[in-house]
Amino acid sequence: MSAQVFHQAMGTLQSNRLLNNSGTHHELGNIRVQLIPKCFKLNIELSRNRNFRFGKKNFGIIQATASQTSVIESASSPSNHDTSDSKKKSNEAALILVRHGESLWNEKNLFTGCVDVPLTKKGVEEAIEAGKRISNIPVDMIYTSALIRAQMTAMLAMTQHRRRKVPIIMHNESEQARTWSQIFSEDTMKQSIPVVTAWQLNERMYGELQGLNKQETADRYGKEQVHVWRRSYDIPPPNGESLEMCAQRAVAYFKDQIEPQLQSGKNVMIAAHGNSLRSIIMYLDKLTSQEVISLELSTGIPMLYIFKEGKFIRRGSPAGPAEAGVYAYTRVCNP
Amino acid sequence: MAAAASFFSQSVGTIHVCGCANSSGFCFGKSSSRSISNGFPIHVRLLGKRICSSSHCKLHVVRESNSCALMMDRVSSSSDSSIDNNGKRSIESALILIRHGESLWNEKNLFTGCVDVPLTKKGIEEALQAGIRISNIPIDVVYTSTLIRAQMTAMLAMTQHRHKKVPIITHNENEQANLWNQIYSKETKKQSIPVTPAWQLNERMYGELQGLNKQETAERYGKELVHGWRRSYDIPPPNGESLEMCSKRAVAYFREHIEPQLQSGKHVMVAAHGNSLRSIIMYLDKLTSQEVINLELSTGIPLLYIYKEGRFMKRGSPVGPTEAGVFAYTETLALYRQELDEMSQRTS
Repeated sequence: MSAQVFHQAMGTLQSNRLLNNSGTHHELGNIRVQLIPKCFKLNIELSRNRNFRFGKKNFGIIQATASQTSVIESASSPSNHDTSDSKKKSNEAALILVRHGESLWNEKNLFTGCVDVPLTKKGVEEAIEAGKRISNIPVDMIYTSALIRAQMTAMLAMTQHRRRKVPIIMHNESEQARTWSQIFSEDTMKQSIPVVTAWQLNERMYGELQGLNKQETADRYGKEQVHVWRRSYDIPPPNGESLEMCAQRAVAYFKDQIEPQLQSGKNVMIAAHGNSLRSIIMYLDKLTSQEVISLELSTGIPMLYIFKEGKFIRRGSPAGPAEAGVYAYTRVCNP
Repeated sequence: MAAAASFFSQSVGTIHVCGCANSSGFCFGKSSSRSISNGFPIHVRLLGKRICSSSHCKLHVVRESNSCALMMDRVSSSSDSSIDNNGKRSIESALILIRHGESLWNEKNLFTGCVDVPLTKKGIEEALQAGIRISNIPIDVVYTSTLIRAQMTAMLAMTQHRHKKVPIITHNENEQANLWNQIYSKETKKQSIPVTPAWQLNERMYGELQGLNKQETAERYGKELVHGWRRSYDIPPPNGESLEMCSKRAVAYFREHIEPQLQSGKHVMVAAHGNSLRSIIMYLDKLTSQEVINLELSTGIPLLYIYKEGRFMKRGSPVGPTEAGVFAYTETLALYRQELDEMSQRTS
């Protein structure tokens, strides 16, 4: 068995052309996150039971046939060789992060923050495309912000999901809301994916800049000041949040509510916003404040992490079933 | 200037419309609520600069040209003329009602009630289509239920609207939510359409039937009992609401919050559910409990009412711009349409 390591300095991962006729397999596409200054290591260790073909590029490609699933144990550090029986079910869970697409204020170039602005037609399409990309990845729970653009993104994406489980939004705002939304059939509950809405996953609150366009803002406050608010880690706009403040409440929520789900083996999708997601990625990838400022997340492109034994392993962005890409799979992700 | 008045009545069934070669007008199409037992008279009086009459139609059909909106006045009752000879206009507002389209549990045939189930792909399409139909009708405020299927229907429909104002959902659930969604630009606020979610517009709460399929329910409770809950006015399912209970809270909300908006001249859209909307229609059309039970609302087909001087006039269902239909307009709507046309001519 061999382990191969490749590095990515800057830019996107080149994907290999993969001859794969089966539409059911999940592939790693280009990693869309740009400007990551750290090296991005991926160790792929191949288990013994299967035969593999290696491509000409500098990383291994596994081709799965329709009848068998390939098994890959991914190790986050080279010293951790898990050579135990490949059939042993590892406690792994998938974590999908989706940043919502274009909103009506993005289109108008207004600072949005926590103003609850819906998606444009384009944003609706981005959500549906995102859904196609994750249509084969198991989802047991969904977390969204309290804002409609993230909720719609999640619901639109899930219309594309193959599994046919039904996302149900949980209501907790009052006793009546709780009582009124109860389900009385066990079968139906088993076929449901709970969707939890949380303000802690909201976009960074932009205070007195909310609703202003860039011109108005530069006029009102001066160009340099605005640049500082937008690009610093810890300087908030007037009556708003700094990225640090946003990170604090988003990551706290993640550790408190979402990580336990992953620990118990639940596959989770989070549909949220640029700043709340970067904050979470900062935690997952252990980035510094300098690195997180430079991190840009593409809209509508889902990002996959595998959670295993307390560690988060980045898996890039799932490509749709028709796209070629690096095939990197884990056992759990096969439906 | 020729004026003609004609009217027709509908006993049971749908209104038949005659063909009208109208590529851009707002047309009065088929009434999509069936089984309305009242006679349904519509008085149509035509005024205005251009009239094209089609002799083989039962109704006088007006063709709108692109450069000038047709002005047409309708009379609400035979005794009351809404525009006097000086052209003074009394306040009218548009009220659009939309029932959301197919949800994931509709597809699976499960009793949904207040369980917050989202739309299917089909439901999404229905919402977009509904949006195309109302893309020329002014909207100043939107009300929805607190359930995602109605909210998504409203937001998807609004992506089709021509006016380019932005719907913004208002958050009031607590101090922080209120503070966090503040807008700091007057200009931006003017270009916003406030969207208010209200639980009082939710679907009828179906109690212990929520999540069950029809088979399970018939087995658990017996067929007749279930039929009683579904088709009666005042018998609730276990721990659920009767249609009467749903009506009470929906109509109370409408009268307290929505009607004042209409009274002040605001144009309103309500995106909600079968039972909450029927309840409201019961109030608007003064239906009896027997009549409201038989009322079926099509999904995704918007219903238009004109509110004027305390009265609600049903205007049927707006037809998309390429569909033929009877042209039935009010001056306010016609002028609004003209503004939209001018706006798009400037930007094109």
